[in-house]
Amino acid sequence: MTETGPVVIVHDPTLRDGQHAIRHQLDAEQIRAYAAAADAAGVPVVEVGHGNGLGASSYQVGHSKISDEEMLSTAREVLTRSKMAALMLPGWATSDDLRNAVRHGVDVVRVAAHCTEATVTERHLGVIRELGAEAQGVLLMSHMADPDQLAEQCALMVEYGAQGVCVFDSAGHYLPQDVGARIAAITAAVDVPVAFHGHNNLGMAVANSIAAVEAGARVIDACARGFGAGAGNTQLEVLVAVLERLGHGTGIDLRLLADAADLAERVLMPTPPTIDSVSLASGLSGVFSGFKKPALAAAELAGVHPWDLFAELGRRRVTAGQEDVIPDAARDLAAQGVPR
Amino acid sequence: MLTTAVLGTGLLGLDLIDRVQKSPHLECGLVVGRTPGSRGLAQAAELGCTTAVGGIDALLDAGGFDVVFDVTNAFDHPEHHNKLAATGAVLVDLTPTSTGALIVPTVNGHQAASHRHIGLVSCGGQASIPVLHALAQSYRPSYVEMVATAATAGVGRASRLNLDEYVSITRHALGQFTGADQAKAILNISAAMPAPPFRIAMTVVANGVEQGPIGEVVDAAEAAVRAIVPGYRVIACTVVDNTTVRVVVEIAATRGRIPVHAGNLEVISAAAIHAAEQHAAATSEPKELAP
Repeated sequence: MTETGPVVIVHDPTLRDGQHAIRHQLDAEQIRAYAAAADAAGVPVVEVGHGNGLGASSYQVGHSKISDEEMLSTAREVLTRSKMAALMLPGWATSDDLRNAVRHGVDVVRVAAHCTEATVTERHLGVIRELGAEAQGVLLMSHMADPDQLAEQCALMVEYGAQGVCVFDSAGHYLPQDVGARIAAITAAVDVPVAFHGHNNLGMAVANSIAAVEAGARVIDACARGFGAGAGNTQLEVLVAVLERLGHGTGIDLRLLADAADLAERVLMPTPPTIDSVSLASGLSGVFSGFKKPALAAAELAGVHPWDLFAELGRRRVTAGQEDVIPDAARDLAAQGVPR
Repeated sequence: MLTTAVLGTGLLGLDLIDRVQKSPHLECGLVVGRTPGSRGLAQAAELGCTTAVGGIDALLDAGGFDVVFDVTNAFDHPEHHNKLAATGAVLVDLTPTSTGALIVPTVNGHQAASHRHIGLVSCGGQASIPVLHALAQSYRPSYVEMVATAATAGVGRASRLNLDEYVSITRHALGQFTGADQAKAILNISAAMPAPPFRIAMTVVANGVEQGPIGEVVDAAEAAVRAIVPGYRVIACTVVDNTTVRVVVEIAATRGRIPVHAGNLEVISAAAIHAAEQHAAATSEPKELAP
């Protein structure tokens, strides 16, 4: 295959976003096995951690099976070529967590904020730069902001020291034209690499990622078998195959990557993510994909239909991290007598 | 009656001024900002306060204050504390710094008068500790957690730069007030529309918890806080498996100046005034309020 298009760097958060699908229960053996396989396939960046990032293990979003330190040091041992990445949310993790992560060999740290709240990333992006790691800024739930707002927020993060910016389609709500308009606005506003992180609730994750590349994104997030929150992420091995057909180099050995994806299906997940009706409702309503498991539990407890619960959460414009609102919303629906 | 100075002119500082003016025991001697011509300083002047620019040095030059409220940020508070120490003023710290004696009105408010450097933990600490402390009197918690969610409009630049200190002092205070083996604090900033009220989700893990007795303890804590913070409301209180208590409270602001969603400001502002009034009660006669 001739490489005619620009190179795309694939960022693989299988061992972080996938945690949402199994209530943050990955153990050291699972992390070791997949990280080694991804490294062998030449995946440039492998992200590891609790689904909500460093320091997030809690009742609010679920306790992780092993500590941040164990996750990072396990992956570090086997990542010989790949960079190791971690995610952090200001207010959840602190600069101490960042120092700890860098001590455990993290090369890239992503600081994430809700799409309109980039100002919370200022301090931590600065700390990461001081620590000598690569600092990237992430805007979560980015469908809740328009292209100009996102461009403005990304420019702020670059001003704070971000060496790359990334927009997350945390709800899997986008269609390709939504992504194209946003990535185009962002690439016009910043002079650092722009990344896109898709979810597959509407079956558009690969198409959205390609739209992002066409609009100027040079980093794409994708997970083996799509292992991730809700309907899953952009499926890594499919994305790389499509990028190859389009003539974009990734530096990844697709055949070894397919093996890594097979291994991921065997060792990481009880079943690969699928677009079930709940995920569809979630994507359509623009609700954070990570709400799937807690919302199913709350709907069951309150005796309401999950579809209605997602619609209600969408109406409330609830943002990632507000998991405590889910049972309230379910009880309110039950009290209104919404039939199951 | 005690003469107070307010250092910082954000929304929280302005609410403090209003409360000081309405208190029979306190008067506002000076409001100090940093930037000449700032909107906050102009609003303080409109409220009838003497104002100055130049931060802590301007405050020291003016001199003669019984109580100073520090409404700046955790980076600058240590310097403020050092410079004020020699003046004998009581320093009430509304920044998330960990150096003052930690006071929560309904828990240990009566101790405020015996400390000259008072720390108010954080808005999340003020909102959660009354409930968590009350539960810890009846049960021995192995784990306590609080997740605060504040609306974006009620979280200013200083707070956004102080999230590390916020998390750290809140976690420390949860441990100190409950004796739990492990404590966890999280702050969310929500852009949900319309702006949601300030909300705290708490988790306590302890052996032998039961819905009935827990409900009574939580109701009593709620009633005590409502006497100081009228918009404080328990939304949910559930016991799971006789091991885990989940309590959710919401705080709506009930005063004109602060938007209704910014209960985070209300809860810490009320605590600051409570602490200053404890000092006033210990030292002076009330002022004569205009009818």
